[in-house]
Amino acid sequence: MIEQLLATSLPLAIVASTPLLLAVQGELIAERSGMINLGIEGMMLTAAISAVFAAQLSGSIAIGFLGGIAGAALIGLLFGFFAIALRADQIVTGTAINLLALGGTGFVYREMEQSAIFVRSVPHLGKQSIPLLQSIPILGPLLFQADLVVTCAWVVLPIMLAIILWNSSFGLRLRACGENPAAITANGWSVAAHRSAALAIETLLVGIAGAYLALALSSGFAENMVAGRGFIALSIVIFGRWKFKGALVGTTVFGATAAIQYAIQAMSPGFQFHLLLVLPYVVTLAVLCGLAGRVRAPQALGR
Amino acid sequence: MRQIAVAIAAAIAALLLLALTGSAFGHAPGELLGTLLRGSLGSRFACEGTLLKSIPLLLTGLSVAVAFRAGVWNIGGEGQFLAGALAAFLVARSVAIGPIAIVLALAVSMIAGAAWASIASLLRLWRNSPEVLTTILLNFIAIHLLGYAVNGPLQEASGKYPQSEAVPAAASLPALGGTELHAGLLIALAVCGACWFLLYRTSEGLRLRATGFNPFAARYAGINTGAQIFRAMAISGAISGLAGGIELLGVTHRLFERFASGYGYSGIAVALLAQLHPLATLASAFFFGALVTGAGELQRSAGISSTVAVFGQAIVILALILFGAIEKRMARKTPRRPAAGEPASVPSEAVP
Repeated sequence: MIEQLLATSLPLAIVASTPLLLAVQGELIAERSGMINLGIEGMMLTAAISAVFAAQLSGSIAIGFLGGIAGAALIGLLFGFFAIALRADQIVTGTAINLLALGGTGFVYREMEQSAIFVRSVPHLGKQSIPLLQSIPILGPLLFQADLVVTCAWVVLPIMLAIILWNSSFGLRLRACGENPAAITANGWSVAAHRSAALAIETLLVGIAGAYLALALSSGFAENMVAGRGFIALSIVIFGRWKFKGALVGTTVFGATAAIQYAIQAMSPGFQFHLLLVLPYVVTLAVLCGLAGRVRAPQALGR
Repeated sequence: MRQIAVAIAAAIAALLLLALTGSAFGHAPGELLGTLLRGSLGSRFACEGTLLKSIPLLLTGLSVAVAFRAGVWNIGGEGQFLAGALAAFLVARSVAIGPIAIVLALAVSMIAGAAWASIASLLRLWRNSPEVLTTILLNFIAIHLLGYAVNGPLQEASGKYPQSEAVPAAASLPALGGTELHAGLLIALAVCGACWFLLYRTSEGLRLRATGFNPFAARYAGINTGAQIFRAMAISGAISGLAGGIELLGVTHRLFERFASGYGYSGIAVALLAQLHPLATLASAFFFGALVTGAGELQRSAGISSTVAVFGQAIVILALILFGAIEKRMARKTPRRPAAGEPASVPSEAVP
């Protein structure tokens, strides 16, 4: 029964948790540079609504994704201005940005509901298989038969970003910003510039995540549609101990739990799935307090 | 004095930006602000609504203020609020005698909130886990546990909606003389006074503030900062838990899935606007209570989403940071006597 559950839920989990994985990778880069972006939830929400409007206005899915990135960039600039330029507290700034996005998108969405643009249909990202790779057993159907974003998020980006972070001098400096920013300054580099670069990468990924959420996983915007994915992303970064391998494993665990919960719900309606929902958070809590081995955050995280 | 000016400027900036945003979408700014004012303070009914909303905001604001003063990032007000409400519900429905049920339920809500917060502070003290993240995780755990409770063991007998039965009428907080208000207002005011007394008139409060202001100096002065953090977090959690208990017994009478609806997070805005001062929290909670109530009127009469209240909270926080930074720059240019013991608006050494 468990095998059958996994077989049906895993492909679903991979697609459904793609925005989550993108956000996790973005946040991982940001946290490695010493920034904790609590506002990732609001960033994704803003990306989702701007993606929908861009897609509706242009009728093009590609412009929709660009719109999502632009929306995220707006929030990224705001976070950068407060957290990097003014050196304001990152946690307070992030909390404010979440409130700003939640209130702002709710307001704008209600206003636009009455406008003419809104009646236009939202283009939807269709399936797209990758030739050759799609015929790999097991992995093919999971990663190469959904769409380009899934392939990028699960295969291309983790490899690319891991190489940048661990094997390039830029990545080394980025990590130094998160561990010992004074060392970067002493070498004549700018901590602010490196953190801005990390924030730009995060913004790009979260923008795509928000657009994917609105244009591929659902067909349009809904109030508070990110529904905690940003906070879960923050948890998975810890769960994965600030590594890309961990991020992939963590996202799969979270995604599979959610998918299995839906499957169980469909199979036996009376089942109390709410208790199952608690499980990933309890596991993350356990990881955080070091019950599952040593965990070490970047030393200068949040400063 | 400068802090008060910064806070007032931030509040005004938020209202102006709100009106400006509204006018960008074709709502006359004057009319928008007028509706906001009329809906929150324009009639007796509106004023009562504002005060009613201010009660949980005052308490969660105080909760955040105490924690931030001690340099602990309690972002878990939402979860502690729910833990308090859940515990209060369990007591209120099983104790037969009304007044005893109320007192007991509220006491237990404080214990539950404190216990829920203490998970985070103990993890920080024992395992060095950042409380920012653990409290957020605990929020989600509390939300899903509440979801489980109102869909499972605590669901109303008819099984129609995901909500609990109402608490017995005898266990509800008494109304204040023919108004919409309930006795929770008096409790919240008492807690506000108690917080001020604790922070500024007791040695415990001095140690607590010292821990937040400069933990290294505090430790050097012989303060057990770990124990201080633990107690601050417990007090903070207890106040949030009490807010949940009061909201249950005074307003909703039932538990349901979206019970907390953001009071925990709003508390952060309340506390920051009050510059973490308990007495200023009174004014700040009233301001945000009016904003929330006025936004409700905007939605009813002008069709503007009531989420503008949340938007306003965010602008207040960001404006506070911005104006605070500007004020600091100006202060640097025009040298003035450093006021002794002037508290930082937000302790900067809080993040582990």
